[in-house]
Amino acid sequence: MTEGRCKPSVFPPRTDTGREDTLDNFVIETENLTKDYSSWLRKAKRPALNNLTISIPKGSVFGFLGPNGAGKTTTIKILMGLIRPTGGMATVLGKPYDDVEVKNRIGFLPDSPAFTPQLSAMEFLDVCARLLKIPSSKRKQRVEEVLEIVRMAPHAKSKVGTFSRGMLQRVGIAQAILNSPELLILDEPLLGLDPYGRQEFKEIILEQRDKFGASVFFSSHILSDVEEICDSISILNKGRLLCAGKLSDLLSRDTDNGVLVKIRQCDDAVKALMTDADNVQKKENDEWELTFKTLSPELDRKINELSAKHGEAVKRLNAREDLESFFFGKIEEDNLENS
Amino acid sequence: MSEIMAIASGTWKNILRMKVVYFLILCVWILIGSAALYEVLSMGQHKPLMIDVSLALNAVAAALVVISITFEIPRELRQGVASTLLTKSLGRTQYLAGKLIGIAVAAIVICALITVGSFVIFYYTFTESIALPMFQAQLLQILSIIPMAAIGVFFATLFPEVVAPVLTIIAIWFSYSVGVLQNIPLLYGGILPNLDLFNFRSQAVYHADIPWSYVGLVTLWGIAFAIFALMLTSLFFKVKDIK
Repeated sequence: MTEGRCKPSVFPPRTDTGREDTLDNFVIETENLTKDYSSWLRKAKRPALNNLTISIPKGSVFGFLGPNGAGKTTTIKILMGLIRPTGGMATVLGKPYDDVEVKNRIGFLPDSPAFTPQLSAMEFLDVCARLLKIPSSKRKQRVEEVLEIVRMAPHAKSKVGTFSRGMLQRVGIAQAILNSPELLILDEPLLGLDPYGRQEFKEIILEQRDKFGASVFFSSHILSDVEEICDSISILNKGRLLCAGKLSDLLSRDTDNGVLVKIRQCDDAVKALMTDADNVQKKENDEWELTFKTLSPELDRKINELSAKHGEAVKRLNAREDLESFFFGKIEEDNLENS
Repeated sequence: MSEIMAIASGTWKNILRMKVVYFLILCVWILIGSAALYEVLSMGQHKPLMIDVSLALNAVAAALVVISITFEIPRELRQGVASTLLTKSLGRTQYLAGKLIGIAVAAIVICALITVGSFVIFYYTFTESIALPMFQAQLLQILSIIPMAAIGVFFATLFPEVVAPVLTIIAIWFSYSVGVLQNIPLLYGGILPNLDLFNFRSQAVYHADIPWSYVGLVTLWGIAFAIFALMLTSLFFKVKDIK
């Protein structure tokens, strides 16, 4: 990793003396996690994951990003005990990744959820509730509750085999939150949903954290959604970790000299600064956002004057890069280095 | 145990709700009933013919249900149904045991329906009550599902759906031919179950009693084989990556 690039050590490193604390602070920890795929026919190994070391803090909404084939689903499947790593270790909620009992405290949504086609949504969730050891007296009520949360109550008795992609995704979320989990692991949870569905799901995810204190670990390609709901992220490329850390730290790091000016209902100020801005965006309620990547002394003086003149209507903030350009920058940089 | 039964109930419900199952049962009933039309052609032997046909078709129906499952399990593994279930508090051996019980229960229900239908057809065709050996032979035929389902689960877990049904058909065929194949240890190997132990068509036709102790022992043997096959499958399944 080159200088200036963010490193996974953004989160507190583990110490030998603080092992108990570490277990309490992190919901997921991996150390040099490696996975190579190989088949009987082809002897050559195909590396999917290369020495991944990350720690996910408790109570965070953690976005796990990377292009296709980066190793996101492989990591998630290892954490859920579905595939075995070639090397390294992983713990989930302080237990080894293949511990069966710890799964009672985890909710998991696979990347393309599929369920027993001849069962109704309610029956399938009942099977899941039995596997999660929800007492029979509470099972029916809880299944109805989660179907209500994901707005599938009207389809509770329809066969899962007749559902659309979006409906399957909703049932998937329902089975993942059935046990009010301490940790939600979601693989592409927003895939196949319309904008309304995506919004609802983001609310559900945040509600799980805010109401029940759940930590959320999810992979997604929809960067705007990640930026909206995640407080921490990591970026993977070709099985390697490129960076990990708090989103706010990562996005402000590369644009230390930039400035963001928010102008509300003040056309004069917008006109005065527009020609110098690198990026101009009109928001709702006649609000404008102007980004300046570099600041000359003259421009600095101009902004300060406008800010003094118009008060709260012209706000000066430190600019931060948006996640999309940050993501592409990191991936391209890595591809160039390793080409 | 409740985890195993949760998987089992999901499996048998899934099978028993398929319309094709009832089409299969209807076809078998029609074929059994059609044996009554062979009075002249069989020179008055249409009654033993019907008993023989009902037992043979019951065996075919059981094999078909088991084979259909060899498509279903690999599909569940490939499409992600299994991974959703296995990420709950469920061991892989428990998943396999649930599948085996579910398949066995579904196949037993289907074969029991065929048996009841065949008895009703027999009673109305010949106005004759059902002899005990007929009942015992049908019962043994139904119980043969237990080892058969274990064979199906073994191949379905380890091979994709293109290969698993073919291997299962071959294994079931060999299992019914153990009497002939026992001199070829390479083929038989002592691993495949001897399904001939459950075949009592001639006793049913000629009303020769089958001791209940035999029925009990052969059932225990079937269960023992199923547990052995399940453990063997589990050894491989535990180290299998589920995509």
